[in-house]
Amino acid sequence: MTDPAFLVIAAATVIGAILAIEARDLVYGAAALGITFLGVAGLFILLDATYVAAFQIAVYIGAVVVLILFTVMLVGPVKGEAPIEHRRTSLMTAILVSLMLGIGGSLVSSNAFPGVDACGASCDLQLLSQTLLLGSGSNGGYAIQLELLSFVLVAAVIGALTLAKTERKA
Amino acid sequence: MEPLSSFFAVSIILLAVGLFGMTTKRSAIRILFSVELVYNAANLNIIAFSRLRNPPLITGQIIVLFSISLAAMEAAVGLAIIILAFRLNSDIDLRKLNKLKG
Repeated sequence: MTDPAFLVIAAATVIGAILAIEARDLVYGAAALGITFLGVAGLFILLDATYVAAFQIAVYIGAVVVLILFTVMLVGPVKGEAPIEHRRTSLMTAILVSLMLGIGGSLVSSNAFPGVDACGASCDLQLLSQTLLLGSGSNGGYAIQLELLSFVLVAAVIGALTLAKTERKA
Repeated sequence: MEPLSSFFAVSIILLAVGLFGMTTKRSAIRILFSVELVYNAANLNIIAFSRLRNPPLITGQIIVLFSISLAAMEAAVGLAIIILAFRLNSDIDLRKLNKLKG
């Protein structure tokens, strides 16, 4: 039995992804991308990864979508973007992608991965303790790596600032 | 609880849409969108597979935390490069960015 919440979230995710690629206006594309990120966060919640879902919302919708919107405004409308430039390339890509979708879909529908909830209530308790472990100070034993990651983030931000900085005429 | 196959299906659709956009679009921002879609497909796949083990492991979620942060960095640097390219070229059509071509 399909969960209606899953259906709604999955539909929003997929439609948002397609709109992000195909919307005529880049601003609408960025908004659709935000809906896709929100949908993926919802799927994380359905998979009981609540901490990751919160992280996804904070980073993607709080930072990445805002960055993209600012860039779209700074760059302005793209001049003469042909919707499809090389018809043959797009056709070949479409064929390849649908082939991939077909193979993946047949793999997925072959029921190689049955449902996971064999352990019931004890499983819920384990998942909750996982989220507690992730959110606690030790970060599930990966605290040092996560700190290192924040250093890399700072480096990336400084690099981005340096790249986008305007030269000031002296 | 939904069977994991459904999550894999959503993931593979996201991957397909991202790949299609990456190969057919010309605007740099659009290609960045596609890269983010592929990132999200990979993250969803990792989280879904981390549920496959019983009892589930926490490592999958940690890997996805890393991956999300790295995607954010990539987006920041990529957008800075796009702004720079726009300032140099007043266009972000990637097929016209050939300044380095000899």
